[in-house]
Amino acid sequence: MPYASIIVPAYNAARTLPETLGSLSAQFYRDYEIVVVDDGSTDDTATLTEAHALRDRRIRLVRQVNRGLAGARNTGIAAATGEVVGFCDADDLWRPEKLAQHVGHLESIPEIGLSFAGSRLIDGASRDTGHAQRPRLRHISAAHVFKRNPVGNGSAPVFRRAALEALAWRPATETRRDWVFDETFRQSEDIECWLRLALTTDWVIEGLPGLLTDYRVHGVGLSANVTAQLASWERMVTKLRPLSPDFFARHEAAARAYQLRYLARRAVSAGDGATAVRLVGEAFASSVRPLLEEPVRSLTTIGAAHLTARFGGAPLRLARSVLTAARG
Amino acid sequence: MRPHIIHLYDDSTPGGVTRVLEHMRFSASMTSWARHSLQAVSRNGAMPQLKADMIVSHLALSWRRLPALVSFRARHAGTPIIHVEHSYTEAFCALNVPHKLRFFTMLRTSLALFDKVVAVSAAQAGWLAGRKLVREERLTVIEPMVNLSAFRAIRAPAGRPRVIGGIGRMHAQKGFDVLIDAFRQLDDPDLRLHLYGRGPEEAALRALAAGDDRIRFMGFADPALAMREVDLVAMPSRWEAFGLVALEARAAGRPVVCADTDGLRSSAGPDAVRVATLDAGDWARALRRATEAEPLAQGRLGDVESHFPRAWSDLLNEQTGKVEVLPDGLASATLQAATR
Repeated sequence: MPYASIIVPAYNAARTLPETLGSLSAQFYRDYEIVVVDDGSTDDTATLTEAHALRDRRIRLVRQVNRGLAGARNTGIAAATGEVVGFCDADDLWRPEKLAQHVGHLESIPEIGLSFAGSRLIDGASRDTGHAQRPRLRHISAAHVFKRNPVGNGSAPVFRRAALEALAWRPATETRRDWVFDETFRQSEDIECWLRLALTTDWVIEGLPGLLTDYRVHGVGLSANVTAQLASWERMVTKLRPLSPDFFARHEAAARAYQLRYLARRAVSAGDGATAVRLVGEAFASSVRPLLEEPVRSLTTIGAAHLTARFGGAPLRLARSVLTAARG
Repeated sequence: MRPHIIHLYDDSTPGGVTRVLEHMRFSASMTSWARHSLQAVSRNGAMPQLKADMIVSHLALSWRRLPALVSFRARHAGTPIIHVEHSYTEAFCALNVPHKLRFFTMLRTSLALFDKVVAVSAAQAGWLAGRKLVREERLTVIEPMVNLSAFRAIRAPAGRPRVIGGIGRMHAQKGFDVLIDAFRQLDDPDLRLHLYGRGPEEAALRALAAGDDRIRFMGFADPALAMREVDLVAMPSRWEAFGLVALEARAAGRPVVCADTDGLRSSAGPDAVRVATLDAGDWARALRRATEAEPLAQGRLGDVESHFPRAWSDLLNEQTGKVEVLPDGLASATLQAATR
């Protein structure tokens, strides 16, 4: 049996899946399987996977009726045989050294249950946007997970199987397999899982230096989604609060401020200044901790929100192109 | 002369431990083969110079304690020193330890100073061994014990359980907030929730219970007297190294509904209803089921007490070879084993 499994949840992913599978087939570490979970796609996702499987025998295809991202990942976990289990969404890419790095990390420190690394953000054409997620890597407490989500995205973590097993449960309505990700969530399922790992198990979460995932950001109007995003985040808080009311009493307001600030930045990116201004207002009304803990980032968010509200997307585009030019 | 065992404790030692220590010092099954005395140790300061055949630490381990512990070990090089781990468990660590690697290092370093480490439940031992916090050959399990005769003497409750009992310190650990939220979802006007104990969460719990006069705060009570007044014991603990109340409930023939965590996996026994989450809705469902049905006759807990002195005298023997008078039943058991 392979030592590692990479799970690829795929829903109507024909456009990006071949590139994703290409990046996974090219991993330097060789002892692994790729489990593609076709989550009820209506496009060529399954056909493309099978075509790729002819070239790479380590690829397996599992098909199911649509259950959403969390449901696809859970099916993948149930099908995976590796001691080490990573996730790569069907539009993201892994750098070739990623699996080798995480396997080494998990082998060298047995207390680590979730190993992650930073991500480069790429656009729809797989071009580097110049942005990256460079989270804190060590001394990660549950409070840090809650406020800053250092794991960052669903294509960054590589788990030890035992840590996934510690998270697994079987809801009364489920007959087939356990849940690790909560399938009642359509958003915030990632952070819900990482935070539950931090609050209910003694597995350590630690990151590796480097940007080992290419995480695709889709530039479409995201701010329409803000209300739904916030609602699912609040539902996560409501769900996990009984685990430790003390913990939530201490960190909830600050975490909410960070979440609102994050959504404000997304609104700025989408050119929606009015929403951005409203969100930063709500953020710092919830807690000023982000201002104290990350003053520069907080102040630029406020500034960018107001500039975008006043002048539209132009100032930000200008700033971005200047930055890109400076980098180039 | 009976061998002398000194038990070290401090003010952070949890409440149930005080009763276990009392049982060790005064029960005939423990005093027939050894003399037990108590030595209080301040939480931060230096540790004393002692003369005993064996020393048993019931202390809470921490970085702050470590230097004094190292010096204590050095000054008692010839005396076996045992540690009973009453506090730390997997669930404790998950919820209360922000920096787990550092905590594991503290625990591994501290536990290495003892000749033997006693876990208070199989689940805790599994965690200590699994995390390699102590080597398996230096680890043993001895579940805590108190005198259960007062609990066995209580008449079994008849009919459907009407009074749900929450017994323990009013601290976040015990999860009484979940219990109150869950209880308030039950419509049955004849049900009662009686909470026995005091602690830092009492005001917050009273606020949660406000407006529902089926919920009563009973303050401190003798554990056996409290047990007599309730028909069912609920333990939504967030962590629990052992869970003495569950054992007492079983001795009294009270059904137990408990969290599926740590030491409760063994102390609550095979018949307990285990609730997988701390969700008030899940707890309300479990309590509704447990209070709506006529209960199956609860089997009373059999003799679990005799294991305790046997395990401790075995430990003393292993460490010193000094058990002269064997506890009741042990001599014949040993003889049988030898002649078999």
